[in-house]
Amino acid sequence: MNAFSHSLSRRFWNTVSSVTVGVKILGLALGLVLLLGAGVTWQARNSLSFILQQQMEKEGVTSTRDLAARAVDPILLNDVVGLQKLLLETQENNPDVRYAFILDQHGQVLAHTFGAGFPIGLINANQARSDDHHHTLVLQTEAGLVWDTAVPVFGGRAGMARLGLSDASLRSAIQTLTVQMLLMVLLVSAVGILVAVFLTSILTRPLHELVTAAQVVAHGDFSPRVPRWADDEIGDLADAFNAMTAELAHIDEIRREREQLRRQLLEKVIATQEDERRRIARELHDSTSQNLTSLMVGLKNIENMCDQQQMRAPLQELRGVVSQTLDEVHEISVRLRPPVLDDLGLSDAIERLGREWQARYKIPVDILVHLGSERLPGEIETAIYRIVQESLTNIARYACAKSASVLLERRGSDVVAIVEDDGQGFDLAQKFNNRQMGLAGMRERAELLNGNLTIESRPGQGVSIHVQIPITEEEKITL
Amino acid sequence: MTKYSPLILLFLLVALAACSVAPSPQPAVAIDLTDLQPLPTPAAGETPLRVAIAAVISPKGTVESYALLLKYLGDRTGRPIELIQRRTYMEINDLIESGQVDLAFVCTSAYIAGKQDFDMELLAAPQVNGDTVYRSYLIVPADSPAKDMADLKGQVFAFTDPISFTGRAYPTSLVTALGVTPETFFSRIFFTYSHDEAIYAVANQLADGAGVDSLIYYFALNRDPELAQKLKVIHKSPPFGIPPVVVNPNLRPQIKAELQAILLEMARDPLGREALTAIGVEQFVIIDDFSYESVRSLMKGIALPELP
Repeated sequence: MNAFSHSLSRRFWNTVSSVTVGVKILGLALGLVLLLGAGVTWQARNSLSFILQQQMEKEGVTSTRDLAARAVDPILLNDVVGLQKLLLETQENNPDVRYAFILDQHGQVLAHTFGAGFPIGLINANQARSDDHHHTLVLQTEAGLVWDTAVPVFGGRAGMARLGLSDASLRSAIQTLTVQMLLMVLLVSAVGILVAVFLTSILTRPLHELVTAAQVVAHGDFSPRVPRWADDEIGDLADAFNAMTAELAHIDEIRREREQLRRQLLEKVIATQEDERRRIARELHDSTSQNLTSLMVGLKNIENMCDQQQMRAPLQELRGVVSQTLDEVHEISVRLRPPVLDDLGLSDAIERLGREWQARYKIPVDILVHLGSERLPGEIETAIYRIVQESLTNIARYACAKSASVLLERRGSDVVAIVEDDGQGFDLAQKFNNRQMGLAGMRERAELLNGNLTIESRPGQGVSIHVQIPITEEEKITL
Repeated sequence: MTKYSPLILLFLLVALAACSVAPSPQPAVAIDLTDLQPLPTPAAGETPLRVAIAAVISPKGTVESYALLLKYLGDRTGRPIELIQRRTYMEINDLIESGQVDLAFVCTSAYIAGKQDFDMELLAAPQVNGDTVYRSYLIVPADSPAKDMADLKGQVFAFTDPISFTGRAYPTSLVTALGVTPETFFSRIFFTYSHDEAIYAVANQLADGAGVDSLIYYFALNRDPELAQKLKVIHKSPPFGIPPVVVNPNLRPQIKAELQAILLEMARDPLGREALTAIGVEQFVIIDDFSYESVRSLMKGIALPELP
């Protein structure tokens, strides 16, 4: 199959398959009717034509033999008038007779129906031997076909009778038949169209309902059910659809419940984690720091009580160690749960976080905070703080960045935080590393609060972390 | 639009198939029937010898029976023979009178009338059973109870030619002898214009009786023996002069003599004998007008009305 016919057949199939079911059914019905109509009409024309031609030939033979029999006596008795009357009567009695004439035994025309003259060539156009029953020949004339029959009169001794039958009535009969059959085809086509339309509506109504219901289900609403219109395959489809939707609703229900449980668990874990951190931070601050301060004071006292010079240096050293430990404990405490977050709010906490991070890791970070004076709900502040904290930690650990930036602002009813760096970036598609787990955790925090977190990065082009959380006063964590 | 193109294509297919010309026979010849020309006049060949044969038997029967004789005449005279037949005896007589016929085989009564009207000339007479006479037979169906003409009262009767002697004049004389006319005596009468048709009519009971030429009667029985079962003769007339061969009186004497000689010598020639047998004749002989006196006197006695 060459390329042209291949593309033609492909286009044909595209056309055929892309029309509606209604058009398909209509095409089928009409196609069948027209095909059948054409076939039957053609066959009927052929059969009728053949039969009528046979009839015409037989009629020619019969009429001419009758003419020959009745012409014997007039010919022998030289009754020319009687002969002429005979011919004219024959023509009158049969409208198919185009002409009739009698030849004598020498081939001369004795009488004919042509009136003034005689057509050239007609005399010799058809001949019969004296012992022939008849001889029929089809002639092509200016008005169609003529069946010319020759019958010898009295064994040829009296002459020859010739009769010409025209096929006009034959052709008109066939035309009439054709017209009638085509009208019938048209009529049946009209009926076929009506039936097709009716059938289409029966078939497509349940299908449309199914499509509509499926679209509703696709949008998450598992309530639609489709009635079983008929006891056929479409009815089975409706049942299957309903069963599937019911199952989907059931599964969705379970999923929701699990999701709900999971959120609850996660929230509880995060809250517990934060409480734990808070508690540890406070204990470190209240208890451990105090103890260390007491230790320092005690050491100072000892230093003051001791006169001996060689005792001062070690004591000062010890005091230095304790002071350093105190600082470290303080740092741990702040990192665990910065008091500024609870006391002064997210804006100040982020600014302090940025400054400390910059001082520690020696990477310049641009902090832009536009939150206004109003505080955000506690969970949101905590979540955003932890996200930014984790992001900055990641930059310090993985990015090899030259600079970073933190943007924090309100946008509409949401709070938006964006952390960017110009480091080496990473491949988002890469899986199974600690970094992914950390990012997933950040996303979870955001989504627990009905927000979202998006990460953009490409190797060599830094990382951009975008967090958006809606602020709703009603948002409460259930414990 | 393209979506429906297969349907349009299909409909075109239908229309094409439907309007296709049904298979027709291959015509052998082409003729223009409206191109009319005057018919050519036949070339005038040699002057044919025009022979008329009276309608004693049917036209077809005449052609068959006289074929050999006409051929013989043609061969002997060296001229083409034109056979002339007419429906009635009078038409032949008229043709002889106007000189359109040279030689004629006529019925006895036709000779009587012709002789009276224009001096029709005897040439020869056939001899059958050694004599130049024939009779009129009254025939009825085989199962008819009739024994003579009187028994046919109120029946259907068939005549032959209006001026036929054996076929009309003689049977009429039998009726007038009973004091009535055939028109009142019979319930219905009709003319068959030939003797073998009259025989056929009685044999098939289309008529209850007819008068026929005895020669023809035997000739018909010879040809179709089954007729004997269907007919019987209930009356035979006295002998009368046999139907002669006559000539146009204005024919040149040499031709008359030639024709007479041929006829008289036929019996001596094997081909001639064959021709004579075909018409049931032994030979042709000379005859004179006196042989027909009895017919003449009988016909004077009866009045034959004109045909209606």
